[in-house]
Amino acid sequence: MKIKVTSLYVHDQDQALRFYTEVLGFAKKTDFSQGPYRWLTVASPEEPDGTELQLALNNNPAAKTYQQAMFQQRQPAAMFFTDDVKGDYERIKARGAEFTMPPTDVTGSTIAMLNDTCGNLIQLTQLAKYSH
Amino acid sequence: MTDREQYTPGPARGAQVRKDGEKWTLILVRDLRHSPEKVWQALTDPAHLREWAPFEADGSLGTVGSTVKLTTVGAPTPHVTETRVTRADAPQALEYNWGDHDMRWELQAFPGGTRLTLWTNIGRRFIAMGAAGWHICFDVLERLIAAEPIGRIVGSAAMKFGWQQLNAEYAKQFGMETPDWPSQKGGTN
Repeated sequence: MKIKVTSLYVHDQDQALRFYTEVLGFAKKTDFSQGPYRWLTVASPEEPDGTELQLALNNNPAAKTYQQAMFQQRQPAAMFFTDDVKGDYERIKARGAEFTMPPTDVTGSTIAMLNDTCGNLIQLTQLAKYSH
Repeated sequence: MTDREQYTPGPARGAQVRKDGEKWTLILVRDLRHSPEKVWQALTDPAHLREWAPFEADGSLGTVGSTVKLTTVGAPTPHVTETRVTRADAPQALEYNWGDHDMRWELQAFPGGTRLTLWTNIGRRFIAMGAAGWHICFDVLERLIAAEPIGRIVGSAAMKFGWQQLNAEYAKQFGMETPDWPSQKGGTN
């Protein structure tokens, strides 16, 4: 078994595809439709065959309620790791994304939080490196 | 071999695309050697739809104003949309929606058969995929009405019956680039 795909609900898949590729910098991996169902995933260009992020249409009332509640509590719906959170913050901000938290030192890491415009908060995490 | 195992779709045919502004419509035409009444039943009766259509219906689609739940068959996660039948003039015209796809069916009698036409809006990048999927569905429908059912072929099952080839042929006919999915390594034929 492998963890190959993780899913995120979005309220608009076209808008999500634009945001996750043009603003965040991921690459489209799979885009397939069967009737009204659309399977859409992106992957990191740093790891093209790595874990995929599915951008799933949120047409499920239960999921919507959960998503909105998590958003209001400022809980991230997903977390991406980076080696340079400040650099990513500047780069993504320059492309027009709204950050709800600039790079901030917390226990063991530096984190930043942004609004994906599709109903989610996304956390960027850079783990702290400790010398032995 | 069973009839199902022997099935192969013929070449891509009978499909057109139309563009109105940003809206793309796929138009599929198929001549069936059966009466409109028989075709109508296959388009509206849940027990018949189960034998060929890419969705399950929890009620008849043959009554205007009725609300029916359509479950996409073979989707990787459960996918249900509710539709309202907006037109049901048996056995000539049927309209409802499947998610954000408008579905308009027309049944035109000719001596010895029915010309079946489907208009459905679909995103540009998915038009060839849709044409390929409906092509196989119509083949299966034709056999069902002829009382030689071979069983529904939708979703990943279609991959085993030449869907990729059809997808590429329709993309070429529509003057579009061949979609990049599924990747070559995933094909079975």
